[in-house]
Amino acid sequence: MMKMPNNDITNDMFLPADIDTTQSEKISRQSLSFWKDARKRLAKNKGAMISLVIIIFIVIISLIGPHMNNYGAYKQNLHLVNLPAKIPVLEKISFLPFNGTEHGVDIYEQRHIKQNFWFGTDDLGRDLWTRTWKGTQISLLIAVIAALADLVIGVAYGGISAYYGKHVDNVMQRIVEVLSGIPNLVLIILLILVLQPGLLTITIAIVSTGWISMSRIVRGQMLRLKSEEYVYASQTLGASNSRIIFKHLVPNTSGQIIINTMFSVPSAIFFEAFLSFIGLGIRDPQASLGSLINRAYGVFQIHPSQVLFPSIVICLLLICFNILGDGLRDAFDPKLRK
Amino acid sequence: MVRYVLKRIGYMIITFFVIVTLTFIAMKLLPGTPFKTQSRLSPEQLAQLRHYYGLDQPIPVQYVQYLWHALHGDLGGSFQYGMRPITTMLAEKFPVSLDLGLEAIILGAIIGILLGIVAGIKRGTFIDYGSMIISVLGISIPSFIFAVFLQYYFAVKNQWLPVAEWNGGISYHILPVVALSVAVIANVARFMRTEMVEVLGQDYIITAKAKGISSTAVVFKHAVRNAMIPVITILGPLTAAIITGSLVIENIFAIPGIGNQFVESILTNDYPMIMGTTELYAALFIITVFIVDILYVIIDPRIRLTGGDA
Repeated sequence: MMKMPNNDITNDMFLPADIDTTQSEKISRQSLSFWKDARKRLAKNKGAMISLVIIIFIVIISLIGPHMNNYGAYKQNLHLVNLPAKIPVLEKISFLPFNGTEHGVDIYEQRHIKQNFWFGTDDLGRDLWTRTWKGTQISLLIAVIAALADLVIGVAYGGISAYYGKHVDNVMQRIVEVLSGIPNLVLIILLILVLQPGLLTITIAIVSTGWISMSRIVRGQMLRLKSEEYVYASQTLGASNSRIIFKHLVPNTSGQIIINTMFSVPSAIFFEAFLSFIGLGIRDPQASLGSLINRAYGVFQIHPSQVLFPSIVICLLLICFNILGDGLRDAFDPKLRK
Repeated sequence: MVRYVLKRIGYMIITFFVIVTLTFIAMKLLPGTPFKTQSRLSPEQLAQLRHYYGLDQPIPVQYVQYLWHALHGDLGGSFQYGMRPITTMLAEKFPVSLDLGLEAIILGAIIGILLGIVAGIKRGTFIDYGSMIISVLGISIPSFIFAVFLQYYFAVKNQWLPVAEWNGGISYHILPVVALSVAVIANVARFMRTEMVEVLGQDYIITAKAKGISSTAVVFKHAVRNAMIPVITILGPLTAAIITGSLVIENIFAIPGIGNQFVESILTNDYPMIMGTTELYAALFIITVFIVDILYVIIDPRIRLTGGDA
């Protein structure tokens, strides 16, 4: 270290700092809107991005898949029952289940069948490739409608409850408290029994319990936001209640809402599959992933490959939606924001 | 505390009453009657049957009667099994389901807690990612799909374990219990990891380390014990998951429990059985949540209940 001379420090050793008043307001961190920030963070999350790509891929293939051959989803042919999967090029790869054999026997050769069924056929000779993707469409449709309905009902209920407060809140929260004490399975099964199984019924049943968690999250957030200054300012300026709810409170809760919606999609897919599996789901000849698994399970000890493809699709969907949901939660969590 | 408990008990009773009422309404709205399949019945016989089962009374009267009998532990008789009392049937089958559920919860909690502890300590390592991948898979994959593949691989293809049945000894329990516990393992592991990470960042851990306590002692004496307390809170949702799972698992592995019976009674329009089972499930769930909440307060003295708004 340099030895400092013991001399006096004189004023001419100093220079006034160069103060540029135009720079004082400059923000050192690049300004990012909430959405941009979240998007950037999500894009960095590899797992979430891969999941998103897989989900998009499954959606696309479920839309074009049924048109890739002309067997149709409902056409039965008793000469073609219970065929294993066979895909022309992939049949050469021994570890993939696409070589048209079952228990070591080439069923296609044995029964002199010239066509190829990519995922095989079911016990009525219907093409499983077409049915799997049709089923994926239905499962996704139910999940998306259920998630959106959860969103609308939950946001409205939670928002109204939190915004009006006092007696309204008290009554509405007591109702929620009683409802949330009921196991959702019980409510869902009762509703389906009464309304008869079908696409709409399943959706209604799933929504009947699904909106509660959304309404709680929205209420909690809004109670916090309600006492923010900008809301008071807006009230002073004479904004109507609905304007404050939908212009100020809802957008500021949107991160939480999106995360919760993202998680209600896989839970709806699960419940649909579960109900179909115990025989309360989509009715034949319509197919959903759950009903395909249920039907395939009937012949599963003899023809195990039938249960494989719908199971893989549903597992992929559930895993990807869960990982994407986790990714969104990390992306929107303001506590992590640096 | 007393006030809180009383309030909770009040809610339990209201919730349960709502469930009983909803179930009753649902059963009355149900299309189809239990006598529909016997098309040979003459109108007189049908009327007699309806009278015998009290189905010709006005609905409010039936409702009051039902409540009154239910209060005395009489849930009616099963249509499907020649009017065998529901209470007897449930009492017979409940131990089996309870056995399965408890085994799954205990196995799941032990493995899940261990996974969570290891992942929390070794944060950001290969072990951490590994256990978190297991937990995402466990949370995502439905237990019935898992069960179907376990059954195929271990019982049908390789015949290492029995395919189904329950009462033949421990080897019959392995597959259903494992299939049912996957969701428990996944949820507990994930929750435990988060808690571990949080606890390990607390000041008292730093203090303990500064005092020179070995890191094993810090982890087991301070971190794990504190991290395990909140895990109790997910027991409520887990019970619901186990009940849901048991419906299909009991079906797949032919276990003579309530879940299996419930699915069967749904498919045969056995109203009294459906009602009885529904109410049993609801009671189980409500009581578990209640016990968990009370336990949580007792175990963790840091949680203070404010008498006014708790």
